[in-house]
Amino acid sequence: MSGLLERIAGKLRSYREPGYYTKLDHKWTMVIDLDKCNGCEACVVACYAENNLPVVGREECEKSRAFSWLRIERYVEGEYPDVKVKFIPVMCQHCMKAPCETGCPVYATYHNQDGLNVQVYNRCVGTFTCATYCTYDVRRFNWFTYKWPKPLEAQLNPDVSVREMGVMEKCTFCIQRIRSAKDTAKDESRPVKDGDIKPACSQSCPTGAIYFGDIQDPESVVAKLAKSPRRYRLLEELNADPSVIYLKRVMGDGTSSHE
Amino acid sequence: MKKLILYAVVGGIAFVIGYFVNDQFFSDRAPVQPINFSHKIHAGDNQIPCQYCHIYAERSRVSGVPNVKRCMGCHQIIKTDSPEIQKVASYWDKKEPIPWVKVYNLPDHVYFPHKRHVRAGVDCKNCHGDVASMARIEKVSSLQMGWCLSCHTKREVKNGHDCWTCHK
Repeated sequence: MSGLLERIAGKLRSYREPGYYTKLDHKWTMVIDLDKCNGCEACVVACYAENNLPVVGREECEKSRAFSWLRIERYVEGEYPDVKVKFIPVMCQHCMKAPCETGCPVYATYHNQDGLNVQVYNRCVGTFTCATYCTYDVRRFNWFTYKWPKPLEAQLNPDVSVREMGVMEKCTFCIQRIRSAKDTAKDESRPVKDGDIKPACSQSCPTGAIYFGDIQDPESVVAKLAKSPRRYRLLEELNADPSVIYLKRVMGDGTSSHE
Repeated sequence: MKKLILYAVVGGIAFVIGYFVNDQFFSDRAPVQPINFSHKIHAGDNQIPCQYCHIYAERSRVSGVPNVKRCMGCHQIIKTDSPEIQKVASYWDKKEPIPWVKVYNLPDHVYFPHKRHVRAGVDCKNCHGDVASMARIEKVSSLQMGWCLSCHTKREVKNGHDCWTCHK
């Protein structure tokens, strides 16, 4: 009996060892060109609609219970006529060495074979540890079981479950779209092509600033963009190895947004 | 003492009857349908293939309950004098769907595509049992996660153990 328990514990522990997935099936990566981002927040709205996020209202936001999986950070520099405004869309960075994964006592957040940092809602017991460990402050907690007023519940996305009270959640890179693209690819017996998958934020971006794809495929758009000299990642010095790559915004005077 | 035995016997009989009545008429396992539809007659005796009526099983996430039109396609001619068929016809005349009771109910957090399973060559029988011998449809599998995973393990499904393969 103890031998069996030890084997199960060993198996579970191995998920946390670095390099558990020595070869990933895909490594989904997002590239955000900050030069194109004008801070319109269409991506935020799209994220709300796609992922069944409740709109909690001002009072809850003041208690820092805002519910956006994707937020736009604004940095304003200078006084009025001479202003520089910089926007950075921040969502879950799907770190390859994610700090949140080390904290969860019930293994509700883990890395899957696609290089995604995923959250299993059924397993989550709501200890809030992952949100505390998260470097980017992107994890959101269901403080209540949110209800949608009568006609609005009809617009809920059936591909995404509606979470209940006490569950942590975060950006999934629109895993339901990844799944459906894989499904279609399997029906046509081909591998998933570059451009098959567009997360809701990427689809809704009016300037096309958000690119999504598999960085393991050298021909993909993201793999090419990732080689750009403007490339940087958020808080790279913390060595969490995030999967979201930003391209610096170059301002008129030659300075860049990442300074 | 005698009274106690009497109570026990009467209670036992009541329990057995209650269990039987509950199982037959009120259980989720084999709920009473609005029309006494027999899979035994259709799939068993007449050998109609499953996907003749459940047409979406191969190309969609759900297998689909056939619409009344599909019933009436045959039953405008076949056995029109039967009282059960006349019930179908009355739904057809009222232009209303038949309120079938769903037997195989999965929770909302499960992503289960029939398409993937049918195309992978999983027989309907694997999960739904020997439907061709059931007069009233009856749930034969638990639909619990361990039950799903036992098959995924046996068939060595690629990424079959990843949570997000089935959960959503």
